[in-house]
Amino acid sequence: MSRFTSALTIPAEKLEKFQTAAHIGGIVAAALGIVSVLLPWSYAHEALDDVTYSAAPSPLQYNYIGLAVIAVVLFAAPLVLRKPGKARDWVAWNTGARFAGYGLLATGFVGVAAIGIESGGLINVDPGGWLALVAGVVGAVSGLVLFRSPEPSMGRIKTNTIVQIIAIAGGLAAVLFAAAFALGLSGAGAFLFYLTFAAFLALTLVRTGVFGWFAKCAADNKKILVLAAFFVAFVFPFTQNGSDANMSIATQVLIFSATALGLNIVVGLVGLLDLGYIAFLGAGAFTSAVLSGSLYSHIHWHPPFIVTVLISGCVSSFLGLIIGTPTLRVSGDYLAIVTLAFGEIFRITMNNLDGSDGPNITNGSNGINNVPELSFLGFNFGDAHQIFGIQVGRFANYFWLMLLVLAVIMVVFVNLNRSRIGRGWVAIREDELAAEAMGVNTFGLKILAFAGGAFLAGLAGAVKAHYDVSVTPDQYVFLESAFLLAAVVLGGMGTVMGVLIGATILKLLPEKLRFFSDYRLMLFGLLLVFMMRFRPEGIIADERRQLEFHAEDEELAEDVQEELIAYHDHFNPDAVTTEDLR
Amino acid sequence: MDLFWQQLINGLSLGALYALIAVGYTVVYGIVQLINFAHGEIFMTGAFGAFATWVVMGSPSSMSWQVAVFGMLPVMILGGIIVSVTMALLMERLAYRPLRDAPRLAPLISAIGISVFLQEFVRLFFGDIPGMPDSKRAIPFPNIEGISGRSVSFGNVNVQISALFTLGALVVCTAFLWFYVNRTKTGRAMVATSQDPDTARLMGINVDRVIMAAFAVGAALAAIAGVAQGMRVGNIDFRMGFLAGLKAFTAAVLGGIGNINGAVVGGLVLGVVESMATTFIPGQFGSPAWKDVWAFVLLILVLVFRPQGLLGAKVVDRA
Repeated sequence: MSRFTSALTIPAEKLEKFQTAAHIGGIVAAALGIVSVLLPWSYAHEALDDVTYSAAPSPLQYNYIGLAVIAVVLFAAPLVLRKPGKARDWVAWNTGARFAGYGLLATGFVGVAAIGIESGGLINVDPGGWLALVAGVVGAVSGLVLFRSPEPSMGRIKTNTIVQIIAIAGGLAAVLFAAAFALGLSGAGAFLFYLTFAAFLALTLVRTGVFGWFAKCAADNKKILVLAAFFVAFVFPFTQNGSDANMSIATQVLIFSATALGLNIVVGLVGLLDLGYIAFLGAGAFTSAVLSGSLYSHIHWHPPFIVTVLISGCVSSFLGLIIGTPTLRVSGDYLAIVTLAFGEIFRITMNNLDGSDGPNITNGSNGINNVPELSFLGFNFGDAHQIFGIQVGRFANYFWLMLLVLAVIMVVFVNLNRSRIGRGWVAIREDELAAEAMGVNTFGLKILAFAGGAFLAGLAGAVKAHYDVSVTPDQYVFLESAFLLAAVVLGGMGTVMGVLIGATILKLLPEKLRFFSDYRLMLFGLLLVFMMRFRPEGIIADERRQLEFHAEDEELAEDVQEELIAYHDHFNPDAVTTEDLR
Repeated sequence: MDLFWQQLINGLSLGALYALIAVGYTVVYGIVQLINFAHGEIFMTGAFGAFATWVVMGSPSSMSWQVAVFGMLPVMILGGIIVSVTMALLMERLAYRPLRDAPRLAPLISAIGISVFLQEFVRLFFGDIPGMPDSKRAIPFPNIEGISGRSVSFGNVNVQISALFTLGALVVCTAFLWFYVNRTKTGRAMVATSQDPDTARLMGINVDRVIMAAFAVGAALAAIAGVAQGMRVGNIDFRMGFLAGLKAFTAAVLGGIGNINGAVVGGLVLGVVESMATTFIPGQFGSPAWKDVWAFVLLILVLVFRPQGLLGAKVVDRA
């Protein structure tokens, strides 16, 4: 990558005299952007979310104005803050301004392209649209000319706890609002426009260092953050006014995330590549469906759901043991292919247990249909309910259940990661021979991870069977395993946040961008290759993991070391300080 | 007893197909310790390349068998080899070489990406090449006069000519491989590199070129297997590489991964076991629907009892 960027870099002395001009250029660009919004962007009503009116911006355009205002602030501030001082050093004004400029260009470009495609030709783009594109070009060029700022120091500001909590609440509320808004957009163009906007807004905030401050707030109030995040997720169904379409997507995202988190234990923490993970989800789903009392099931024992869930988990982890015990003894590469073969065995077996090629348990390729709705203490998950006067439908019920399952999986994941077991796993991942030499029970820990991950997938599968109503073998093909793996890799192996983001992206994009559904798989294959090539640690990187992929990065190594020492001191306050040992 | 012989010859021809693909896994693994997961797709592109060559020749259909077997077939195989070798080299250069020093998970994940990409690429765009049929459904493979659909009988045992072709191809390729590895400079360099890449480099061996040669040899054999598969089954399909690749990997492990002779033996054993299982396992579990399951169960059993494979792998646990 650096080869390409260095070719673009212009010597600093040439840029020197253009700095002020660039700041002003950026302000002009943002102003042009705001003016463009007051003009109609398109002649056609169907493009974006109807941007045909003058002096009456559409909701999407209001978002665009927000980006432009941020760009104005970032470009203008260094002109005002001439003297070095706290306010000047806290925020990386220039770097942020550069990304805001890129953001103006990207949103302007996507906007014009979307209008051109959705309304059948660029002829439908009004002067406002072209002006937005021009504003973007000016903004991006201005941003490119700016020098980079020094490292922002906002992450070191000491803030009152109450302010921090308010900031967390505000941030999460913004996320909730953005998610609800994005899901409410109907057209693919509008969704892409919003996505571009959100991505560049986030990137700008990260680069200015504002995120550093948020990260500090979050780190200081971890429990509050987690509770607040769950509260936000919990109230999400209320923002949907009983709309089933979005809740259905949201529930699918949760099921997918829960499964991906289970896989993340195996792949992210221990570094074992499991290519048949979907089979464990399938085993859970089939077990739960067979025991659910569906008319298509031939086993007439219907335990309550709590029992079924545990049985499903146990069946999955038992399968995990069967497949893991022989393969975990040999090199990791075998595991990948054997699990892949196991995934195929599972699918074929489920297909064959239909009464003609084997005992009739799963109804073969027809699968088990009409899985009854869950019912807990008289609360039927299939019915719509009125809560606080707001109608919440079937999908919202399952959404909340999955949220609970996800919470359980996250608690297990985080606690394991921070325990003796988790450290053993990381040691195995980093160097199995060395770990074994240090007395880590590598085989036992690997089996534990493998069976444990399978158990979690079994739990998710048990809910999925009821949610999907029918369970068929062709839902559990290799590609689904590959998708799960992609969620883990894309988001960041070994992290919770990253995997949640990766899973959301991989489930949400295909739902919202139907027009590229034919190319979805191909792009997904390319994505895996490019991720491995350019950012193997994923969107959100686990720092230690990142170090494994960038072994020569000294600065990163020091960061990681500091963090580990701080962590150690935090948990062993009486121990000899690690400073002394150095 | 006729049934036994019949299934033996069926199994051997199926196994020869697996063996031809398995060599590709084993050669690459022996040198860079990489499971080239996308090798099944190389096999698929080889078959499509041969088909495309046939279309480019003007889709010749009626001719005498001598012209078909000694004129058209070699050209088709050559076309398939060119396509598959190009694909394999591109893949090595663009996706694997940059990851050579990365943690082991990285190239494996990359390989899955390539595999999905190649399948989808062929599915979506093969039909866009002028003259090529839509590849979203299976494409009928050209009829090779004298091979396709013909069979000879020995008593009650019926042998497809295409099966004989596959077996013959395996014999020729094994002989070629033996000569290549033991008697040529590149082949010797390959052995040296697989034993100790660093020392090989110090001895003046261009390791990059050796790795490329390994990918190319594997791809060439896979293309021959692709043509054989097209003649056996009568059609080709963008999905054909997935299961075949998986089975071939099983064969490579069975024989001892990294060991070329092992791949050949493993392939033949796997093919025979598969076809015997569908005949001689009694009851419902002997039905053809379970044949893939038995192949994979064999893989797991081998890993439990003899992880180094039938002939012994060069490297079993170099994690």
